Amino acid sequence: MTAAQALQVRAARLAAAQSSQLGPSGAAWNLLRERDIPLEPTPLDRQPSAYVQTAWREKTYGTLAVAGLTAAVAGPSLFLRLRWLAPEPRPAITDNDIFADAAALLFPLNGVDAPLETMGDERHPVQAWHWRAGAGKPFVLNATGLGTATRFAHHPVEVADEWANGQWSVVFSGPLHESGVALTAAGSIPVGVAIWCGARGERAGLKSHTPAWITLALP
Amino acid sequence: MVTAPLPTRQLAMVFDLNKCLGCQSCTIACKTLWTEAPGMEAMWWNIVNTLPGQGTPRDVFAHGGGYRDGLPVPGDFPPVREWGEAWDFDYAGTFASGEERRPVQPLGKSGEPPSWGPNWDEDLGGGVYPNSYFFYLQQVCANCSKPACLEACPRDGLYRREEDGIILIDEERCHGYRFCAEACPYKRIYFNPARVIAQKCIACYPRLEAGVAPACVRQCPGRVRHVDYMDNREGHPYRLVHEWKVALPLRPDFGTEPNVFYVPPLAPPAFNAAGEFDDTASRIPMDYLRELFGPSVDDALATIQREREVVASGGQSDLMDVLISRDWNDLMGPFTQNPSELDRQQARA
Repeated sequence: MTAAQALQVRAARLAAAQSSQLGPSGAAWNLLRERDIPLEPTPLDRQPSAYVQTAWREKTYGTLAVAGLTAAVAGPSLFLRLRWLAPEPRPAITDNDIFADAAALLFPLNGVDAPLETMGDERHPVQAWHWRAGAGKPFVLNATGLGTATRFAHHPVEVADEWANGQWSVVFSGPLHESGVALTAAGSIPVGVAIWCGARGERAGLKSHTPAWITLALP
Repeated sequence: MVTAPLPTRQLAMVFDLNKCLGCQSCTIACKTLWTEAPGMEAMWWNIVNTLPGQGTPRDVFAHGGGYRDGLPVPGDFPPVREWGEAWDFDYAGTFASGEERRPVQPLGKSGEPPSWGPNWDEDLGGGVYPNSYFFYLQQVCANCSKPACLEACPRDGLYRREEDGIILIDEERCHGYRFCAEACPYKRIYFNPARVIAQKCIACYPRLEAGVAPACVRQCPGRVRHVDYMDNREGHPYRLVHEWKVALPLRPDFGTEPNVFYVPPLAPPAFNAAGEFDDTASRIPMDYLRELFGPSVDDALATIQREREVVASGGQSDLMDVLISRDWNDLMGPFTQNPSELDRQQARA
């Protein structure tokens, strides 16, 4: 087991009424423990495009080394807050060569295990909750390998974001029993984190990510 | 990555640069048919630019992409202002100015006048009088046989149709990463910011499926464009490309093997210092034409010159007959269906 796998984020149980305090800078988060999640650049040789591998050989990406993750369950919903430094935010796609900041949480669909480095495989699909700055609503995607992510037209996941003081704060929330992921299996579930820095042109597989699952413990 | 089967047939086009009027009828035919939806305002899937000139986007062939020695060449995707915004015009400013003469000014989204646009350097041309020259270059997606766009996409967002080799973007799969637009050396892929997807010329495939030629082909008053499947040995593309060898790929050094070919412009001879024709010198510098169309351009122009002289001396030239296409249906290969006579319900079915 790697150090990253040993990381555990424990979701606190809050009263349903406190969900209103779980916005990006909501007061309820101040009572909970935020874990630093180490991030690494994705391997260039795993990018499923010879063009991307060639074009990015001399470019730098995935330099965000850490993000903060906090988890809470309030009422029937799971709330996950990601925070990271973004001194040059890209809050929207405004031109051909502008890429928006983005972040995603990844879960094995069976709630137990799946290969993280390939975004699942045919026998072990994964689900991503994907936020992109300026998009308005999150995307929920299932994948069975690199380049296979397919978006759902309808899903119950919500997101709220805020950029302040050089930092993004993004809260994902979804009902525990309706999101498509086995979020309650065995009281814990592996989760992965990915963050894209728009200012560096990061998109697709070019990102900072957790190279191994971390554990999200549910109350 | 999914390995797609090679197409069983390849649609091909030939554009005769000696016949283009620069009227942009093709451009408008395409625009009104395909790119009027929100997010597509600045798209010109078909574009005609004056050469020598910088093209659309500015310095069109200097943005990388394609292949060198078989390896992908990194490219960039210029911002919209380098292509030309869908600008508006300041009518209110003109009418309210009180000035006697105040031309209507174009205004970009920023409120500033645009600094580039489609065919921005229209008719400026090159050379020094009396050896000045220009010609028009028409561009659509070339549906390359080695498509850098398709191979650049990390999620198989583009595919090549098995039945005709047309390359399409799967708008459900496209996530707007824009690697395809960087990788296209001809810069024929646009980005739709409203939908966050890439979009490009689709060769009017719904028309082709109904036997109708692409709008840019059918609406061309200069009869510039020939279209057919390349495997039809009686078709104009095959005859012009492989039989007569007078139609050449644009910038073959990009390595993508495009399926749009060009009959290079045959200019009058240059004037010498005495003001007389010098039959040994082209008014359009041959080095420039070789850069655009490769080293075969000398032989192609010699063939066209020779066949023109045959006709000029009262003879008959099969090549000139094909290029002239007195019956315009001959330009359109198997796609001669008149769209106004089409049973649209049947076509949809």
